[in-house]
Order: sequence, then structure tokens, then C-alpha cells
Amino acid sequence: MDELSDVIFFATIRELNAKLKSKEFSAEQLVRAFAQRLETLGPRYNALALQLTEPAVRRAREVDKEIKRERFRGPLQGMPFGAKDLLAYPRNPTTWGARPFAGQVFDYTASVIEKLEKTGSVLIGKLAMVELAGGGGYRFAAASMFGPGLNPWDRTRWSGGSSSGSASAVAAGLVPFAIGSETSGSILTPSAFCGVTGLRPTYGLVSRHGAMALSWTLDKLGPMCRSAEDCALVLEHIAGGDSKDPASAGKSFYYTPQFYRKMSDLRIGFAPVDFSEWAQPAARPAFEQALAVVRSTGAQIVEVKLPDLPYGQVISTVISSEGSSVFEQLIATGKVEELADPKQIAGLKAGLEISAKDYLKAMRIRSIVQKELRKMFTGVDVLLSPSRFGPAPKISEPLDQHSSDQPPKDKGLSALIAASNLAGLPALSIPCGFADNLPVAIQLVGLPFSENTLIAVGKEFQNRTDWHRRRPKGS
Amino acid sequence: MKITRRRLAATALGSAVGFSVARSLAQAPSGSTEAEDLNAAASEQLRKTAETLANFELSMSTEPAFVFKV
Repeated sequence: MDELSDVIFFATIRELNAKLKSKEFSAEQLVRAFAQRLETLGPRYNALALQLTEPAVRRAREVDKEIKRERFRGPLQGMPFGAKDLLAYPRNPTTWGARPFAGQVFDYTASVIEKLEKTGSVLIGKLAMVELAGGGGYRFAAASMFGPGLNPWDRTRWSGGSSSGSASAVAAGLVPFAIGSETSGSILTPSAFCGVTGLRPTYGLVSRHGAMALSWTLDKLGPMCRSAEDCALVLEHIAGGDSKDPASAGKSFYYTPQFYRKMSDLRIGFAPVDFSEWAQPAARPAFEQALAVVRSTGAQIVEVKLPDLPYGQVISTVISSEGSSVFEQLIATGKVEELADPKQIAGLKAGLEISAKDYLKAMRIRSIVQKELRKMFTGVDVLLSPSRFGPAPKISEPLDQHSSDQPPKDKGLSALIAASNLAGLPALSIPCGFADNLPVAIQLVGLPFSENTLIAVGKEFQNRTDWHRRRPKGS
Repeated sequence: MKITRRRLAATALGSAVGFSVARSLAQAPSGSTEAEDLNAAASEQLRKTAETLANFELSMSTEPAFVFKV
């Protein structure tokens, strides 16, 4: 079998689909090529949790039979993908990135994987993650049974978490796309640090059946891809109602670029302080340039700032109390001590101490957050802010080492990740340049179920830039 | 595909190696990793958070956010 060109490893879903349809290569060739690359290079970034080449090749052969009969099922047909190791896949370990669950095997498939398989997509591997998706709060990048997620742009830097392997595998060209999860920042952060495009859908849009729960009222699953359009193509097939997920919104998503509003009709809100003071100095030129690109689209740029609410305290109370309840047995049996990060162990134990009074207070303030954000969106269609204020930190440094630094007085949109997660809003992270030779990104946040608007802006940004096309050296 | 004992053991072994590296990295850079200190710090953090929440005034009619979509 001829070796496929290196170019395919960094091609978009549309490009790969066109080549499959024109029979430039078969689905089996494509799957074998990616699977081999994932198996060889995945461990280099601590990205691989479980290789699934054998079943993947069998599925790819079935896809080839369909393509031979000219039975085309859409852009994801024959497309290899990876899934964060918190998604159930039968008869194989699903570790949740945590040693106490290293031998855990489910007998069913997570809905999101099931939906992708129905489109003809082929799961080639499970991808590494921060243990228990970071529940309890971790202090070091090494908080995973797979070791620290290493950034393909610089292996001394963190890939971000908790969807570490999902981001680094896409960035290094080991999979065309991956599924990640976000409770508060776990898709956006690794997408930003690794220079990939990540979409956090509206809460309830994508079924979480078969996914590890960390916080029932916050958990979301979403795609991590090479472009905004790829995110749309994947979302279209994973969104939709599911009776197996009690939080399912029962809504579908259709990618409809033909109905996009003109950019000049869109109002995009940003806070200047995010770019001038919150952003780390090395990242400011990239963020300023990104803002200039957004302006050049003709969109109306409006200054905004988040209402002054205790977003951090509210979200930490919700995640801690729900997460510690989820893992109550793990804590009670003492198996929690087997986790890699001691701070996380302490955090999970402490979470059980949160009173009903405090949890309910947090949830009541959360309804104010939702109301205030809804109000904000009467003046804008999209909020724009740096995804993270700087590039990936070193893996050897504590992740909270800058937390005691003096923050700017004007909070701008600095709490946007917490605020938008609390309100269940969708967000798109798109690469926008480099700082210290590492990728940085901006995030776009919109009203619930406004994914098409975010993708429209993201796509326009990516039509005007090539940051999403850059690839790490040596990959 | 069925999972074999050998495969499960290999996964667990791989996990163990990864885990020991991970744990040493997680613990090495910290000067104070005593479990008791960390437990105390986590409880203190919760106390401070609860205090902030308690000081936030709400009207009696404010209900908890049990619906997360508009």
C-alpha cells in the first residue's frame, strides 16, 4: 500500500472527504495512516490512552464498500477521529485519566461516538486527559495517569487540560478531529494552547450519555478540529436530542452558511483591558492583530464588560459540590489517594464539606449570571476575548503560580470562561498568532444555540488569516 | 473485539508507569505536599468562597438556576 502524503495529516475534513470521494485513497488507507501516526507519535505527547487500530480498520473496510457503491453519507464518512478517554467504548478500558479507574470497562458506547460511527467516522483511539477532568482542582500538568500532556509546539510546555490528548493529537496531525469535554475551560484552554480550533456547544446540545460526569449542570462535549468549518461539520452530526441524557435540550444543529448574516450586521463586544492589561505582554501583539482582523471584517465593534459578579466562587462551588458527590464512593473507599495530583485529592475530599446552603446560594447567584448575560446580549451578538491571556505554561511549573499576581482593576471579560459556562453559552476558540513561539487564541461567545453565528465569525477570521493552518515543527 | 486479560494487564502496567512519572512530577516541584496541609488549604479555600457567597445579597424571589438554556 502506498504511503499517503504527509499533507493529509494536516488537511481539513472537507479536503480529506474530497480526496476520499475522488478515490485518491481509500478509507482503509486513510485510517491506517492516521492510526499508525497516532500509535507512533501519540506517546511523544502523552496523548494516547488507547489505540484502536484493529476495529478501526474493520470499520474503514465497510466504509470503502459503501463508497464503492457510491453510497455517500456526508463529509465525515471514512474520517478517522479520536475521543477523550472519558467516553465509554465497549469492551475496552475507559480510564477517565485516573489510576483508580485504569481497569474500568463499559459494555456500551457513548452516544457521541455512536452518532459519529453512524456517519461513517472511524474511532482510531482514545485520547489522554487530566484525571477525572480536573475534578477537585489540580496544581500540576502531571495530574494524569498518562503523564503531563505535552504541547506539540514545545514539549516542555503543557498541552492544556483537561482535554489534553484531544488537543495535542489534532495539533500534531495524529487525528483530523477529536472530541473533548468542557466543564469550565477544558475545550477552550487546550485548543488555545495547542493552536487548534475548539467548539464548546451550548449546554444540552450534545448528548453526554456515556461520558464521565464531573458536574451535571455544567458538562458539555464538543469537537476540536483544524478549522471553524470542521467544527460545524462535526457538530452537525453529534448534536441532537437524546433521551439517555436527562440534560439534553432536544435540539439539533444544522450548519447553514448560506443563511449567515452579513458581517457588517454583527455587533461584537470586547473589553480593551483584556487586550492591553490582562493579556501577557508577549501575547499582546497577537491579540491586537486579531482584533484588527475582526475589525477589518466590517463587524461593528462595541466596548463591553462583564457585570461584577462572583463568577469564580460560584463555578468552583458548583463544580466542587457536584464533582465530590459524583466521586463520593471514590473518596469514601480511600481510592481517591491513588490520584496523581495531591491538591486534587484534597480538593475532592473538601468538596464533600460544602453545605446545601452554599450550593443553593451558588445556584441562585448563577441564575443572576444567566439573566445578566442575557441582558448583555441585547447589545451585542458575540463577545470576543483572548481564550487564555498567554501561551501554554511550562509543564514543570505549578499551574497556579501566577494566581497571586496583582490583577488589573478593570475586570473586562476576564471571567468570560467561568461566566459563559455558568450560563451554558457556546464558545469557539480560534488560533490567532503566537507568543514565545507558542500558539495563542481568541474566543467567541454567543447566546445559547448561536453556534452558526460563532462559526460564521470564526470562518471569516480564518479566511483572512492562516494561523489555523500552521503546524508544529517536527510533526 | 473482546478485551483480553493480557490487554487489560498491559493497559494497567502502562498506566502504572505513566502514573509513577506523573505522580513524581506532580509532587516534586512543590515544597509542601503534606496531605494535611493540602486538606487544610482546601477547606480554607472553601470557607473563603462560602464567605463571598454569603455576602452576596439576593432577593428572596431569586430561584436557583435549574434551567440552563434560553
